[in-house]
Amino acid sequence: MAGAGLLAVAFAMIFSAVVAVVDGGGGAAGLIVSAVLTGSVGLALFLGSQVSPTADSALAFAAVAWSWVAVSLAGALPFLLTGVISWEHFDDAIFESISGFTCSGSTILSDFGSVPQGVLFYRSMTQWLGGMGLVVLAVAVLPALGIGGLDLIASEAPGPTADRLTLRVRDTARQLWLLYGAITCAVGLALFLVGMSVFDAVTHAFTTVSTGGFSPHADSIAYFDSFPIEMVLMIGMVYSGASFSIHWHALRQGIGAYTRVSEIRWYLLLIAGAFGMLVWVNHGELEWLQSLRESVFYAVSLGSNTGFGNSDFVLWMPAAHLTLLVLMLVGGMSGSTAGGMKVLRLQVIFRYSFRELMRARHPNAVIPIRLGRTTIEEQIAAKVVGFVLLYLGLIVVGGVVLSGMGVDPVTAFSGSVSALGNVGPALGEAGPTSNFLVFPRSGRVVLMMMMALGRLELFPAMLMLVASLRGLSQMRRQREVGQLR
Amino acid sequence: MTPRSPARVVGPALTQRVTSWIPNRSAALLRGVAAGRIESAIGVTVGAVWLSTTPLFFLCAAVDLVDGGPDADALLVSGLVTAVAGLFVLRLSRFPSELPIARLFSALVCGALAALVAVTAAHFVTGAASTVDAALAEASATISGTNASTIDPETLSLGMMLFRSIGQWLAAAALIVVLVRILPHLGVGGLDADGGVATRSARRLAPRSGSTMVRLLALYSLLTFLLLIAYFLAGMSLIDSLVHSTTTISSGGFSSRSGSIGAFDSAAIEWVAIVGMVTAGTSLPLMFRALRRADLHRFARSVEFRSYIGLIIAAVVVVLAWSEEWPTMNDVRESVFSVASAISTTGYVAGDLASVSYGAEALFLVLMVVGGMSASVAGGFKVMRFMVIGRYIGRELRRSIHPTAVEKIHLGRSSIGEVALARIIGELFLSTMVLLPLVLVFTADGLNFEAAFSFAVSALSNVGFAFGLDGPHDHLGALGTIGHLAGAVLMLVGRVSITPILVSLGGIGEPTQREIRRWRRTRHEKVIR
Repeated sequence: MAGAGLLAVAFAMIFSAVVAVVDGGGGAAGLIVSAVLTGSVGLALFLGSQVSPTADSALAFAAVAWSWVAVSLAGALPFLLTGVISWEHFDDAIFESISGFTCSGSTILSDFGSVPQGVLFYRSMTQWLGGMGLVVLAVAVLPALGIGGLDLIASEAPGPTADRLTLRVRDTARQLWLLYGAITCAVGLALFLVGMSVFDAVTHAFTTVSTGGFSPHADSIAYFDSFPIEMVLMIGMVYSGASFSIHWHALRQGIGAYTRVSEIRWYLLLIAGAFGMLVWVNHGELEWLQSLRESVFYAVSLGSNTGFGNSDFVLWMPAAHLTLLVLMLVGGMSGSTAGGMKVLRLQVIFRYSFRELMRARHPNAVIPIRLGRTTIEEQIAAKVVGFVLLYLGLIVVGGVVLSGMGVDPVTAFSGSVSALGNVGPALGEAGPTSNFLVFPRSGRVVLMMMMALGRLELFPAMLMLVASLRGLSQMRRQREVGQLR
Repeated sequence: MTPRSPARVVGPALTQRVTSWIPNRSAALLRGVAAGRIESAIGVTVGAVWLSTTPLFFLCAAVDLVDGGPDADALLVSGLVTAVAGLFVLRLSRFPSELPIARLFSALVCGALAALVAVTAAHFVTGAASTVDAALAEASATISGTNASTIDPETLSLGMMLFRSIGQWLAAAALIVVLVRILPHLGVGGLDADGGVATRSARRLAPRSGSTMVRLLALYSLLTFLLLIAYFLAGMSLIDSLVHSTTTISSGGFSSRSGSIGAFDSAAIEWVAIVGMVTAGTSLPLMFRALRRADLHRFARSVEFRSYIGLIIAAVVVVLAWSEEWPTMNDVRESVFSVASAISTTGYVAGDLASVSYGAEALFLVLMVVGGMSASVAGGFKVMRFMVIGRYIGRELRRSIHPTAVEKIHLGRSSIGEVALARIIGELFLSTMVLLPLVLVFTADGLNFEAAFSFAVSALSNVGFAFGLDGPHDHLGALGTIGHLAGAVLMLVGRVSITPILVSLGGIGEPTQREIRRWRRTRHEKVIR
């Protein structure tokens, strides 16, 4: 699996090298060297191993997690070889690469002018590739493994989930990638039509569809200062922040597929609510139209966890910050490339808490947890709750550790939320027009780990560590014993 | 209410008689007075709360009179009014023949609200707080044991100062009563519905819950007295010792100085306060058991106590490690003090909190949320509940490898039921859902993000000090009317916990209707007769 991933990355590097050559801005040589390096290792891995027919969940966890790590490490090469990031700061290169492949969009690049276009293109492409892997992961692999209660997707909208992982994943992946590619083309075209250059249109299409949020401009979308562009991006972001499983359905069965899913209502309501809140809070602070435009853009950008910026929200009122923070925390829908806790889980948490209230009043009542029209099993609800608790716990731990490194608490905690939710910008000093160099070097390592953890839905990543520590064979033995029992 | 614990003879017969006599007599007295027509648990509770606060009013009025302070008349009058109102309500209502859980919840919440009203009246009438909303916030801080205030304590009259600190002490004592006498009756579905996780150790201390209560109250008073002597010996004046011993052991935190404990500038006093605060965060039943048998191993055997102390030590080490220069003895004491103040949710301040490192600040906030041990008078979410949640996460992690595994969560030697787990987690989520909108209110009322968030966490955990402004206690003063109300609500929610409040809010309609219907029916019957 890692082999295939590396090959894809090598392909992306060659592609970016082509862009660099066309642009003439330099950096092509570095990109090609790293492509050759990555490609050869990838090829060796790809040919040297075969997919085991009996891939059980523990192995699948490990495969997914390790290939992500391998890809991220290899993805750091171009930054180093082209000299964009010096070798003493190799960890920054890895940070940028992880931020790309996890579709986060936090950057440590401060001087965008000196970076060759080829590398900027490559940077956007990492996000696109990450999103590609993620779509399959989110729609097919993780639900099938039942990570953090994601099997719920299957219960609400039986989509192209894989019952037998190795058998159907390939099939599902092909369909999903077709959809993914089509949306990218559509967004790219639309962006080009509303006035972006080809380069900008393609790179922004890449990072919009993957809800990544890298932009080749330091000011992000504020650079264009154009409402039509923002409009196109917003539509793209809302679409990509929603479940690809449902999109797939809608394409087959017509638009009615959307109305059957309660998660999508919550998702849109959340964004709309945040928009209303922001307008209300920013009222009087900004000019009326300006406030409207910025509010809706940020509600969408953070509601889908993309992280584009069209102004500096750090200057907004504190109340607006809180709204944005909640959006970052919740994130997009399950089965999408967006990060965060996922709207689906928020729904379950709400139902779960209110059930406890009902039970406090009527101690003997048996109340099922419902989601739309479906009833959730206790086991799955427990998984969701466990996930959310772990998620919140990690945010707190990350925040405390970062503050301990001397970052002010607002930046530290929002950075922690942003990294674990793969958003990109944070509050405080690490706003959308700033970069993550405000964190100390050790803090960036922490953030890096959090991005990877958040992207892999915590559990696989944690289990990967467990699996690696104990050794896979031993785990399998335990599993057999468990089954016998 | 009937005793539910199995009979187990403990202690000599005399203690037995004394400890059962007090609650029996007081219950009988209450029954005698409450002989009205309306069967209402709420009425009885409200009346009883008002009546039992009146001695405090009169005591403080007397003290103020002797001291020559200005508040004697005001306190006397408000005390009289409270007494009359309490008697009136009590005479009107009667113990209900049946008590569904929902109404027990409402009674609990209304009891807290009644205390809130009485204390608000005192603050407003004496002029300690100039506006009603400020008085409400002050009252909420008093009865929830939070050291948040708009008032500079050095401007208060002696009577009012005593009123506030003894008010905190009494509120904590009332919490012990609730803990022992009411929570177990709410059973699985109730406040204590973490299946007794929060109060587990309070069970079966004595055969009857009444005598358990008296024992714990006696221990509580004894600890207060010891602390008073300790403060006195450490160099405080008698009045200061009284004020501080009552607010330390109740984890309240009101002080007679505007600089809190730090104003005394004495290492001895700070060490006394540290010991007092750590004690306040410790489970009372655990202490009672250990002291009765002089068996200090009980402390070591308690998983929760080990975690509690472990947390304190770890936090101190981390805070010192994060400080810039090599710590002196002074720094050590200061960090121990702040850690103890945060985790026991007392809210005293010594040293300069505004200059602590960012890491320490974040850590203090986490400690506030964790709070003291279960069955202590401290606020916060309680150490034991977090231990349970930690084990829950671990179980879910294991389950994702072994999807069919059945695993029970153990804490020490006891196992925690699924219903209890759900209750704890529900409580955590609900509190978070209440916290976030109120942070929003604080930010809308003019606090910066850091100040709003830290003050909200601090108020919900009943601590009091927060960050982001110049001083640790400036937050309530910087807020406007809406902010004061939000603060008052948050502190109250922190003390009573969210479930009963939401349940009784949801249940206001139903019981009111029923009460009205019943009252009409009785009147109707009387007319017919």
